[in-house]
Amino acid sequence: MRRPRSELFGMAFETLRRNPGRSALTLLGLAIGVGAFIAMVSFGEGARRSVMDQFKALGTHLVRVRGTSRGGQERRPLSDADIAAIQRDSTTISKVIPVARVIFETTHAGRQWWSPVHGTEPEFATLHTWDTSLGGLFDARDLARRSKVCVLGQTVVRELFGEADADPLGETVTISGILTCRVIGVLAAKGTSTSGNDVDDIVLIPVTTFAAYFGLPLGYSALEIGPAQPEWIEAAKEEAQLALRRSHGLGVDDADDFQIDSPTEVLKAVDRTATILARLLQGIAAVSLFVGGVGIMNIQLVSVTERTAEIGIRAAIGASPRQILAQFLVEGALLSLLGASFGILIGVGVSVSVASYMGWQRITSFGDVAGAAAFGIAVGLVFGFLPARRAALLDPIEALRRQ
Amino acid sequence: MSSGSVVRAEGLWKIYQEGGTPLPVLRGVDIQISKGEIVALRGPSGSGKSTLLNILGCLDRPTRGRYWLGGKDVSTLDPTAQAWVRLHYIGFIFQTFHLIAHSTALENVALPLHYAGVPKGQAHETARGLLDRVGLGQRLEHRPNQLSGGQRQRVAVARALACKPRLILADEPTGALDTRTGQEILALLLELHAEAHLTLVLVTHDPNVASVAHRQIEVRDGLVVSDSRSDAPAA
Repeated sequence: MRRPRSELFGMAFETLRRNPGRSALTLLGLAIGVGAFIAMVSFGEGARRSVMDQFKALGTHLVRVRGTSRGGQERRPLSDADIAAIQRDSTTISKVIPVARVIFETTHAGRQWWSPVHGTEPEFATLHTWDTSLGGLFDARDLARRSKVCVLGQTVVRELFGEADADPLGETVTISGILTCRVIGVLAAKGTSTSGNDVDDIVLIPVTTFAAYFGLPLGYSALEIGPAQPEWIEAAKEEAQLALRRSHGLGVDDADDFQIDSPTEVLKAVDRTATILARLLQGIAAVSLFVGGVGIMNIQLVSVTERTAEIGIRAAIGASPRQILAQFLVEGALLSLLGASFGILIGVGVSVSVASYMGWQRITSFGDVAGAAAFGIAVGLVFGFLPARRAALLDPIEALRRQ
Repeated sequence: MSSGSVVRAEGLWKIYQEGGTPLPVLRGVDIQISKGEIVALRGPSGSGKSTLLNILGCLDRPTRGRYWLGGKDVSTLDPTAQAWVRLHYIGFIFQTFHLIAHSTALENVALPLHYAGVPKGQAHETARGLLDRVGLGQRLEHRPNQLSGGQRQRVAVARALACKPRLILADEPTGALDTRTGQEILALLLELHAEAHLTLVLVTHDPNVASVAHRQIEVRDGLVVSDSRSDAPAA
């Protein structure tokens, strides 16, 4: 025969209410633990997503092919034939664009600046999800006419026109002393890449213009390939690789004479690192949760010692060891339950304010909150068991003697 | 055994290990108490009468010997089964009342019923009736510190009766009370004994209490040294 559970909870609630200060402090420990856990899970996830977003903004959704040395010094140039081969043989690729990249001296009105000049196609901006802040990009007609036009990055504008917010549209910039081109656009600022390069230090000109003035003795520096769907990036990489090997006439046993990268590996590595950091935060929070559990254990042990005489009375009049165990377990459970509830309030409150301060999207998921609360309650139960067992195992004669 | 026997014990030994040397507190006690008897258990302190009472109350187990309570052998029960026997067969009354300090009179009396699995409403109803019977119908919501010594002992008596025990064990029930209040408690116990046909074992030094008993059992050095029937039991 057992007492109905609701009565046990009512009784435990009465006991906790008799000592409100102590109960509040006890559950505060667990509340902070649960709160910290929720907050840390949220921070970790928020920081991870934020880092991933930054990486994606840097063009992680394209495959890059680079000409590389074969047999020591000799380079296999990347050519229009390679572009045609990739476009012909692929089903997952939407765009293949050439990039000829050389660092040239650029000058304007007596100022000069060395900057990487990219001969490319208008889709470069689309592939890199890169908008212009002023003017626009060159188009297919500029390509066909080998127009003498250029689009500048923010750093180049600052160095050649004195200030970052100068309006250089319509001005001319001379590249390597031989190509004077009209500025038709300025790229929006992108900042520094993860490897520390200034991404805004860039000049874009039509690839045909580049070829006409500077030639392509080593072929294109790179081919940039955009998959038709973002999730097809690995398939696009494999198709491009096969197409290039065929186009280069490589045999089964030959190594690639080019280098092909997709950002997936990098992204995965970044994701792994961010996840490890997030787990680390959670680990620290879990420690504080355990400390909260130890707090519950301490207070319950004190409570059992203080109430030894009462336990003796209960035992003498016929409470079974199990009923006494249940009484103290329920008290511990109630403390954990209340603590976890307050912890949810603290954790969600902190996560929401931090997320809004950092400009992250909502990152606290119901699952995380429920998981943290369940973890907290479980910790409270486990740590509440030892004191409850001590109470249940008290010898009633000894306990009664202690008044 | 006779059907009227509530308590029958044979050759009860209790030996404590005191720093490696065995210390026998009971040395072969035989005792038999019939239904409805009032027995005064007497003896100087250290005689073993408290240990005997603990064993009779299933709070302790004998080292050797057998103990039948209401015909059932209870000498080797585990703590859970002992608790069950205490709850359903035995009512305890202590010298210092042993009420739960923060519970009301009503809650104190209802407590054994809770442990017996009686729903709260029904338990409180039974407890109210019992408190009424012991004269505390107007004190249901009072806590022990709001009650006098005599009233506290009345609550304890009501609690002892909650689960309709067959055996009431009272350890110096008037020891902490003044003479008049002690008389009242004794009178109450005698009334209840008559009403419910209880078996009553009283440990006492109080000659007033001892005088109402049918039997006087005296324990000394762990042995029953005398067992005499009163000529004129008060009940």
